[in-house]
Amino acid sequence: MKQHKFLFTLLLALGFLSAAQAQEEFRKKAPAALPAPVIKLGNYVQQNLPNGLKVIVVENHKLPQVSFQVFIDKPISLEKDLAGVGDITGTLMRSGTKTKNKAQLDEEIDFIGATLFTSSDGMFASSLTKHKDKVLSMMADVLFNPAFNKDEFDKIKKQTLSGLAGDKDDPNSIASKVADVINYGAAHPYGELTNEASVNKITVTDCESYYKTYFKPNITYLVVVGDITPAQAFADAAKYFGKWVKGTVAKQTFAVPSAPEKTRVAFVNRDGAVQSVIRITYPLSLKPNDADAIKAAVMNNLLGADGNSRLYQNLREDKGYTYGIYSGLQTDMEIGEFNAGGSVRNAVTDSSIVEMLKEIRKMANETPTQAEVDRTKAIMAGAYARRLENPQNIANYALNIARYGLPKDYYGTYLAKLAAVTPADLQAVAKKYLKPENANIVVVGSKDDVSEKLKAFGQVLYFDANGNPEKAAVAVSADVTPESIIEKFIAAEGGRAKLSAVKDMETQMVAEIQGISIEIAIKKKAPNKFMQTVTAMGSVMSLQAYNGSKGKIEQQGQNVPVGEKELAKLALEGPIFPELDYTKAGYKLSLKGEEAVNGAAAYKVVVEDPTGDKTTNFYDKTSSLLLKSIKVIEAGGQTITQVSEYKDYKEVNGIQLPHTVLSSGATPFPLELKAKKVAINAGIDDSAFKVE
Amino acid sequence: MRLWSSLLLCTLSLPIWLGAQMKPVKFERFKLANGLTVILHEDHSTPIVVTSVLYHVGSKNENTARTGFAHFFEHLLFEGSANVARGEFDKYLSGAGAVNNAYTMQDHTYYYEVLPSNQLPLAIWLESERMLHAKVENKGIETQRQVVKEERRQRVENQPYGRIAEEIMKRAYTVHPYSWTPIGSMAHLDAAQESDYVNFYKDFYVPDNAVLVIAGDINPIETRKLVEKYFSTIPKSKKPIFRPTVNEPIRTKEIRDTVFDKVQLPALIVAYPTPARTDKDFYALEMLNKLLSGGQSSRIYKKMVDEKQFAVAAGSFAFQLEHPGINVVFNICNLGVDLKDVEATLDAEIDNVRNNLVPEKEFQKLRNQIEVDMVNKNSELEGIAENLATYETYFGGVEAINTQLDQYLKVTREDIQRVAKKYLDKNQRIVLYWVSQRGE
Repeated sequence: MKQHKFLFTLLLALGFLSAAQAQEEFRKKAPAALPAPVIKLGNYVQQNLPNGLKVIVVENHKLPQVSFQVFIDKPISLEKDLAGVGDITGTLMRSGTKTKNKAQLDEEIDFIGATLFTSSDGMFASSLTKHKDKVLSMMADVLFNPAFNKDEFDKIKKQTLSGLAGDKDDPNSIASKVADVINYGAAHPYGELTNEASVNKITVTDCESYYKTYFKPNITYLVVVGDITPAQAFADAAKYFGKWVKGTVAKQTFAVPSAPEKTRVAFVNRDGAVQSVIRITYPLSLKPNDADAIKAAVMNNLLGADGNSRLYQNLREDKGYTYGIYSGLQTDMEIGEFNAGGSVRNAVTDSSIVEMLKEIRKMANETPTQAEVDRTKAIMAGAYARRLENPQNIANYALNIARYGLPKDYYGTYLAKLAAVTPADLQAVAKKYLKPENANIVVVGSKDDVSEKLKAFGQVLYFDANGNPEKAAVAVSADVTPESIIEKFIAAEGGRAKLSAVKDMETQMVAEIQGISIEIAIKKKAPNKFMQTVTAMGSVMSLQAYNGSKGKIEQQGQNVPVGEKELAKLALEGPIFPELDYTKAGYKLSLKGEEAVNGAAAYKVVVEDPTGDKTTNFYDKTSSLLLKSIKVIEAGGQTITQVSEYKDYKEVNGIQLPHTVLSSGATPFPLELKAKKVAINAGIDDSAFKVE
Repeated sequence: MRLWSSLLLCTLSLPIWLGAQMKPVKFERFKLANGLTVILHEDHSTPIVVTSVLYHVGSKNENTARTGFAHFFEHLLFEGSANVARGEFDKYLSGAGAVNNAYTMQDHTYYYEVLPSNQLPLAIWLESERMLHAKVENKGIETQRQVVKEERRQRVENQPYGRIAEEIMKRAYTVHPYSWTPIGSMAHLDAAQESDYVNFYKDFYVPDNAVLVIAGDINPIETRKLVEKYFSTIPKSKKPIFRPTVNEPIRTKEIRDTVFDKVQLPALIVAYPTPARTDKDFYALEMLNKLLSGGQSSRIYKKMVDEKQFAVAAGSFAFQLEHPGINVVFNICNLGVDLKDVEATLDAEIDNVRNNLVPEKEFQKLRNQIEVDMVNKNSELEGIAENLATYETYFGGVEAINTQLDQYLKVTREDIQRVAKKYLDKNQRIVLYWVSQRGE
């Protein structure tokens, strides 16, 4: 009885208890499997044309559909200052031929419901069998007579630039770019990134020259899949692609990138991110035709390939850190890559990395159990069986056999090779290929929330969203103190004498949002009187005032009680230039190094007011003026991060004041506030600061 | 895993349709005494089998204080049962070389396994465990609560344009439960009580609210015996299943708003009302969407991306919903484009289709494109299983899978113009300007 009660509090039985108690005996155990089915690998046929084009055919009549892929197995190369030229050429190929403009081509393709797309390394088309010849003649036209039209080129360029801008919002895209840069380096083709400068430099002539260099039949495969006989496919290949003229394509060699000497962190700041994207990655020297390849794949499956793997079970199912976390082990004839990662909430960024590294080390340090390895192999055998449903996968196997020089029965005997893998094999390949001490840990997240704790994993390198290295938080020279930065700021504003001479100041700033104008009016009078109103559509949304001893707060016409804490905060708003008396008034200053604001080097200073509230200010290293401040406000149980950027400094009565303020965070929408009126020593009557 | 099905992705494709030259999908259907509908589809071309259960419960069955519960519950139903310990559910399947997953939408929750065909008894056993006596530990509830929160962060909050469905739905519906999306409210999940779990299971996870589909390399006679053994003694529901009947009033005034997001590229999102997915107008509306955005020669793509160069991506689609839904037209624009210009151009295209008949040749193109879609939707067992389940649930019987062709063939050029006039109505639309939070 006691035992039963205990179980009930711990477990929530959702089902009908009566049914559960009276359940039939056969339900208690998993049923046995039926006899294993025979798994047959579909066939393929390969034949070469005289011009060197290698034709692979997979015949499958289940659907009345056929597809053709032209795959140019081009040698790797650097595009250098024209990075992106291959991709743009690929898109441009689909934008018209010598006899059909893009609209006509689109119309013809869509009319028969066909698909035809092109890329830097070839093209793909598919259609119903009955439209096969139309599609083949369109393919040939696109392949042999591209128009390289200037208007279409300009359009693609514009879209590429927009795409690059859009990438900056996508944390996964940012992480991939940084991973490429840090794993391979810009000197290797895999580490080269398309960027705004390179895209702007590319011309139509560059695209034509790319096309002429690489679009050659002797480095190309034509892969035909579907409702077609091999004889017909070879005849079609000769008819449509037989006249393609062969040529020499030069091969370049590149130094093979290697994993870093010591594990390090590559960090990209993304203000306001609610999650960190983590990638633990490094270049991996493992070719697809290596004898270790299958063993390494099994090892990676156990580590992180799916929801049964150790990473997922630990970080998601046990700890709830993430929606999903996976690892991949990419083999490659040049240089492969190891990659483990996912998205986790800010607070557990460092804990997640700790757990990930722990799982990676464990693979190498402990022999997995036979049961784990058997389950992993069963998953992979099941995946193999499922892949056979799609004839395109049989074609991919054929392509791999040809490209990587695999034995012809490589996939036919895959299940036997898989069955032979042992727990000891897994530990051996883990030792050889997992490098937790030589990894790049890429993190894209909110700097203030997560970056400090990342130092525990190694040197932290900073990158921007385009994958360019950012200057690390430069060690500020010892003679620079926060006090000296504030003094220079005061000097830049106009100097102590001029600022102290200000007896009163009135500022009105206006923002337009969706046709509504919002006005913020601030009046201040020395030594400490203050009044601020926010007006929208003529009505006062909020009012704050302080007359030197008493304060008042109104929200939408309603009085908000002013307690001791509120009064202290209102009093801090009193002084016209509080920076003049930071020390005397009990402010604490600390210098947090250097950080760029919109490309300008700036000192980052945390200003803690006497009530304990902190504001992070950024002062321009050159002009010494305040560029930006970030204030975290606790209100109504919510944490709001208010970011203000100060721009457009202009002189008023000899004092530099910002005339544009970009404010975000405190309102549901960002405000661009423009100064409408700035008046100094125009005389403000004390009655303006009434708090009754 | 465990997808909260992204509406945008799931609805981009058309329902299955078997063209004249295609063979009909063969199936066998029977009903158990407890109300469970079972559909078998035999196909021996690959030695695999798909088992799926569709429960006719989604976010629209939730109460307003527990939004997101149906999806959260889907996560919990992988936790275990009277005979399957926590974490073992997936282990059984992976050990058999299977993959499994689930998703939750507004109208239903769908669970499926793809296995080597000799492992069919395992899938049947596990799905019967899930239906008969699922069990959840506190540890499982707490963990999955965190996981769902991460799912929301990853797919909605940290994702550019991730909030589109949410922002549309909350404006489009004032009284109907489509006003929230399946991911729901995280505060509501925090507030869930033990009774919520027990009641949701009792109310909705019953055989008379489910369709079981088994498709692939099977012996139908043996399979039927297995199904009867494992499912026939599961008790049926003790009371009528709650289905919301509230009707959303027709909007008579345009809603117009600006949404701020962490994006660089501005977007114009216009949402129009649609009838339910089973309404005959829906077929004409699907053809209309093809006209607007099916392929690069389609009207909106050609105008926005190629001619005006306003957009990097443009498209339109209808949410596939049991009750009257939403048709979305979107343009993700190039840098520096003024959304007002985009809107004016889009309006001209919409006016054109409202005021003029589709030319014959263009109409033929739409029919050709739909023929190809049908072939593609039928290419894999997973898709066939899902279509069998949804046709049975929403279209008055699984037979509808083979009569879709007639529905599309019935659509005339006049129908397309008529539905354009009726649904692409300025007074009923919602216009969202999706702009950068940075105010650039």
